[in-house]
Amino acid sequence: MDGMNYLTIAYLGMIVGIAVWTWTVVTRSKSIEARLEAVEASVGVSASEADSVAKEVDA
Amino acid sequence: MAARSAEALLGFGFIGIMATLFLGFQWAPSVSIDAFESPAAQRIFYWHVPAAWAAFIAFGVLFLGSLMWFFKRSPLGWRLHVAGAEAGLACGLITVWSGCVWGAAEWGTPWDWTDVRLNTFGLLTLLALFLVLGRQSQPDGIETRDTFSTFGLYGFVLVPLTYIATRIWEIRHPGPVIGSGDGSGSLSGDMALVLLLGAISFTVFISGHILMSMRITGLEQRLEQVQHHIDGGK
Repeated sequence: MDGMNYLTIAYLGMIVGIAVWTWTVVTRSKSIEARLEAVEASVGVSASEADSVAKEVDA
Repeated sequence: MAARSAEALLGFGFIGIMATLFLGFQWAPSVSIDAFESPAAQRIFYWHVPAAWAAFIAFGVLFLGSLMWFFKRSPLGWRLHVAGAEAGLACGLITVWSGCVWGAAEWGTPWDWTDVRLNTFGLLTLLALFLVLGRQSQPDGIETRDTFSTFGLYGFVLVPLTYIATRIWEIRHPGPVIGSGDGSGSLSGDMALVLLLGAISFTVFISGHILMSMRITGLEQRLEQVQHHIDGGK
């Protein structure tokens, strides 16, 4: 196989990898944020920023 | 605000990464035809090296986070651990993939099981895979975090080992082209400039990913708290 073909395969793989990774992280962030806002609004509770597992250690 | 900063870093990093690719193809000089089996494939290194650099930063973040969680029980430490593992996995896979394709073009084989650099870096990527999949399959708790943090702490030994591997045992993977310490670097000025742009861009990009990942972990914890409240907990 020609060197340019290897180059194309390598960069296409990396571009797809970077795109999928970034898309997954950004959509996951937006989805969780929307779910949290919806749940907090419907229940009328605002969750604190504190980490519950770390609080468990402190207790 | 944090989300905006993370997205901005991701955007700037991505632009820089694509600029590196463009300059690597259009501006950087070609290597000597005699020096390589596959001179065209050498241009893979404009992303391969910066991705490996970014992976090392991510493994550093993983180590720091593990240390902060294990010894200080710091919530920030746990978020750093999670973000470092995810970023380390992504950059590790990019590095391994590009390295395998280059190896196939240059050496005629994608992997050499006798090369120390390849195998220690492969182990680091597998460690990150274990931490990411393990966290997703286990319930969050002190024991789970302690176990994964221990792996993050001890696994970091592979980072300096990978770094010095080609300096001590140069088997198949090429030695350092810059910063070799003995002045034997073989990189031209233009190539080094493109590589520097790539390293900066990948660093900015991975910083955005780490911030984004830390934010997601925080949101997941808040969501869990509300769920706990709905279920009747305090």
